[in-house]
Amino acid sequence: MAPPNARGPRRTGRTGHTGHADYTGRTGLTRRTGLTHRTGLTHRTGLTHRTGRARHTRSAAGFLLPFGALFLLTFVAPIAYALYESLLKPTRSGPLGLGGTGTAFAGLDNYAHALDDGLFLTGFGRVLLFAVVQIPLMLLLATALALLLDSASARWVGFFRTAYFLPYGVPGVIASILWGFLYVPGISPLVELARGVGADVDFLSQSTVLWSIANIVTWQFTGYNMLVLIAQLKSVPGELYEAARIDGASAWQTARHIKLALIRPALVLTTVFSIIGTIQLFAEPMVLKPLAPAIDSGYTPNLHAYHQAFKSNNQHAAAAEAVLIALVACVLSFGFLRLVGSQRERDR
Amino acid sequence: MSTGAGPGTRAEAGAGRGVGRRAVLGAAAAAGATLAAGCGGGDDGGGEGPRVRKKGEKITLTFWAWVPGIEKPVAMWNERHPEVRVKVEKVSPVDGAQYAKMHAAVKAGNPPDLGQIEYMTVPSFLLGNGLADLTEHGAAEVKDRFTGWQWAQSVFGKSVFAIPQASGPMGLFYREDLFGRWGLEPPATWEEYEETARRVRAEGAYIETFAPTNGYRFAGYAWQAGARWFRAEGDEWTVTVDDAPTRKVVDLWERLVREKLVRTDPDRQNAWYKNLQTGRIAAWLGAGWGDALIVGNAPKTKGAWRVAPLPQWREGDNAHANWGGSTTAVFAKCRYPKDATDFAVWLNSDPRALQALIEGGAGWPAATRGWKPADTEKNRAFFGGQHYSDVFARADRAVDTRWQWGPLMDTFQQRFGDAFTDAVTDRNMSFRKALAQVQRETVTDLKDKGLKVKAG
Repeated sequence: MAPPNARGPRRTGRTGHTGHADYTGRTGLTRRTGLTHRTGLTHRTGLTHRTGRARHTRSAAGFLLPFGALFLLTFVAPIAYALYESLLKPTRSGPLGLGGTGTAFAGLDNYAHALDDGLFLTGFGRVLLFAVVQIPLMLLLATALALLLDSASARWVGFFRTAYFLPYGVPGVIASILWGFLYVPGISPLVELARGVGADVDFLSQSTVLWSIANIVTWQFTGYNMLVLIAQLKSVPGELYEAARIDGASAWQTARHIKLALIRPALVLTTVFSIIGTIQLFAEPMVLKPLAPAIDSGYTPNLHAYHQAFKSNNQHAAAAEAVLIALVACVLSFGFLRLVGSQRERDR
Repeated sequence: MSTGAGPGTRAEAGAGRGVGRRAVLGAAAAAGATLAAGCGGGDDGGGEGPRVRKKGEKITLTFWAWVPGIEKPVAMWNERHPEVRVKVEKVSPVDGAQYAKMHAAVKAGNPPDLGQIEYMTVPSFLLGNGLADLTEHGAAEVKDRFTGWQWAQSVFGKSVFAIPQASGPMGLFYREDLFGRWGLEPPATWEEYEETARRVRAEGAYIETFAPTNGYRFAGYAWQAGARWFRAEGDEWTVTVDDAPTRKVVDLWERLVREKLVRTDPDRQNAWYKNLQTGRIAAWLGAGWGDALIVGNAPKTKGAWRVAPLPQWREGDNAHANWGGSTTAVFAKCRYPKDATDFAVWLNSDPRALQALIEGGAGWPAATRGWKPADTEKNRAFFGGQHYSDVFARADRAVDTRWQWGPLMDTFQQRFGDAFTDAVTDRNMSFRKALAQVQRETVTDLKDKGLKVKAG
């Protein structure tokens, strides 16, 4: 930080840090007190320590069971099954397999095949490009909206917050159909309007369709991300603002040095969600595909896996691709978290 | 969880239910859908095979179909067969969605009893042992009720796997009013077609759209030119997608596309219908079932349309082709295959059922008796009183019946769409190159399925 204005920001920063620590500390303390209190109560009801603990274990197991069962059924089992399927391949005899079909162990063949598939890899390249452009843009917009709605001079906050959030309530498929009507030439009023002023726009061409999808995604998720950021802003203790005001910070300085600094965890969270969402991009290209020949069957990795599974009926290949997609999403998300983490270390 | 489309969508990603779970939901897309579907319908009692219905026993058969107006003939059947009720469940034919659903259901072990399956897709269901062999349920005895080549489309080895419903003999729909105004005649040869396209374009309209994602219509063009893409001999498939007749066809369309004489957006989508309504597209290389589409989607152009035969590669030839056409198939898991077969045969050969199907727009019936071509002219006034069924009847008789579909046409359709999308948008990718790519990929796809295959 530059020396001339070192005083303001650094001090604010320190205040922020203390405030934050204080805040977490207090929560932790309350929680701990609660716990002691409850244990105390158990003692007072006359149960011995040992039976109490056994009972605790049993009731804990009881409470964990529904979660555990669902976790196994909907989380662990599908992964295990996908991994298992991804290691198999079909075998057939006769020109149509009428002589008998079966499966055989394929090792990593399906993975090798997926990594050798140009269309599948191009899809990854495409969503990465999408992520690099769309995520910063959307989060910038969401942050700006959040700061505006959180500023002291904001009016009609409830209305605008709801209005910005509303698109998130529209399912992705419906949103894509709606935007599809606004993109298709011959029907779209936007294209008509552009033609009226002499511009020949095509929202669905090879070079534009990715950004048309980005527009749908931005429209849908900016409000959601904005809300997450606002929630974080609301948890900033009022004393901080007061301190800043006393130090003579302007509204802009408050936003830049207090609010932005403190919503960092929320920004990290929304970025990670957005990265994962982007790698898994599916509904939008799927819905627009019949309208836009530029969207091929491997436009995004997920679309490719879908086509493998349900159009080409290659469940084994699709399982391998799905595992790869999950791996990439994991690597990128944790990579981003580490990057952010190490940066924070350096800042300290 | 719904099958297929659910997991891994952006909406779920944003819903904030924890990172790991979501990442993995995507990973489990295929498996998860299978599991969910399995949970929903796993009440069949497992390994129970087909059985014969006891006298007086009431059953309900489910039937996945999308032909408009299918409910009417089915209601007629239900009226007369209270013991074997058929329940229609409509599926979406957009972009092959119906087959995605059927394949998933077969894989999950809970398919419907009956399904409407197009000729080209029948083999892909055999690969997964998805269809019942109808030979032992009385199908063999009704063979002569149906047109020979359409019957043959679902016969593999000595087994019959589906009852043919209708075909789609191709023809050229065109706007007679516009053609007349511009001093044009419907082209008799492809050479004339090219010239006509140029003159239509000079008038500010287009003659056609070359939709790169519509591999099946393109197959019709190749079929007419004399191509034979797939052949099964003994245990082995021969793939010759990249043959001389098909090259001739891609060269023609490459010229039309590069000169911008045709559009390249998809046909039978909203934008295309809009262009039909406004006359921006003045013709359509369609099929016998296509009249209902124009009538329904461009009602204000009533009286302006006519139908001409497909242009020929050599003047005076009478080569024709087929686009689309469906069968009624019985899935292997059906517990009452005899009753299902009876229904499929009735639906596609009973005179009253045929009339109802024609009315709905099912296409050119595969049955040899119980209807006459003029019955298909429900919309004669729309076509200026033309006896347009004559055109399709002549085409139907001249269809090259040696044509055979390959075992993986859904995948083929994708390969074709991907390659030709590139070719249409990128001048460096010639149409011939795209064709060679489709050939190469098709051979690999068949091999990957565990089939014996050679490139012809």
